[in-house]
Amino acid sequence: MKRLSLIPIAGLVAVLFFQAAQKPEFESHPELDEAKMPAKVKAVVEQKCYGCHNAESKSDKAKKKLDWDEFEAAKKSKQLAAMAEINETLVEGEMPPKKFLENKPEGKLTEEELQILLDWSSGKKKKDE
Amino acid sequence: MKILRYLLLGLALVLIIIQFVPNELPAVEMNNPSDLLATDQVDGEVANLLKAACYDCHSNSTKYPWYSHVAPVSWLVAKDTREGREEVNFSNWSDYDMMDQLKILDDVYSEVEEEHMPLPIYITMHSEADLTPEQRQKIMAWAESTMDIIAEEE
Repeated sequence: MKRLSLIPIAGLVAVLFFQAAQKPEFESHPELDEAKMPAKVKAVVEQKCYGCHNAESKSDKAKKKLDWDEFEAAKKSKQLAAMAEINETLVEGEMPPKKFLENKPEGKLTEEELQILLDWSSGKKKKDE
Repeated sequence: MKILRYLLLGLALVLIIIQFVPNELPAVEMNNPSDLLATDQVDGEVANLLKAACYDCHSNSTKYPWYSHVAPVSWLVAKDTREGREEVNFSNWSDYDMMDQLKILDDVYSEVEEEHMPLPIYITMHSEADLTPEQRQKIMAWAESTMDIIAEEE
């Protein structure tokens, strides 16, 4: 009898574990509003930035520097200032952090992804758009 | 007693010798046509606060006190002034593009709010830079409203 009662508990633990292991990272975030961010920018941000830079982030430092949930809700002047900050950080190659990439090399921005973020965060509208 | 005298003599010698270490204070330029204070983006009161609390390091119109010419203080003053101007130089304000101006104002807001600026060591020597909470609020409110104006003009 005692053994049997362990099964639902083990099940619960397994479910919790599974959920925790499946942290959002590649999930779509409806709160990232497309009107303010082109779809391709949004895609890169969700895959490569949002994991640390979100309102529930475990890293207070990452959250304080940039919180995409907050970015979405921010007014235009704040968004543009954040974009300028993002641009500078990317130009200097400071993100994603080297320490982070040591454990997670797949988190590195590809040339193309970097270009998408740079073009967008520069705030200059391209002629063909 | 003798040891103490030798120590003091040694210290004095070191102080004299380090005066000959080359060190250049960033140049002062009072005529800055691109200066923030030459625009209509800042009014009298905030302009005075910025001048008193920020302009020694974040503009070309640095006022060097006498001790900033004496090593080792001069080394620190040279470094802080050089790095301050690199980060933000209000004397070049109109030359920054719109995005950089917004970023700078956003930084002004948070640095002043979190009391990272003016630097504590600067405040110890410059009581006029020791901003009251009300003065900090004034600068923050100015930074935010100016950001809104710039963003709308875009």
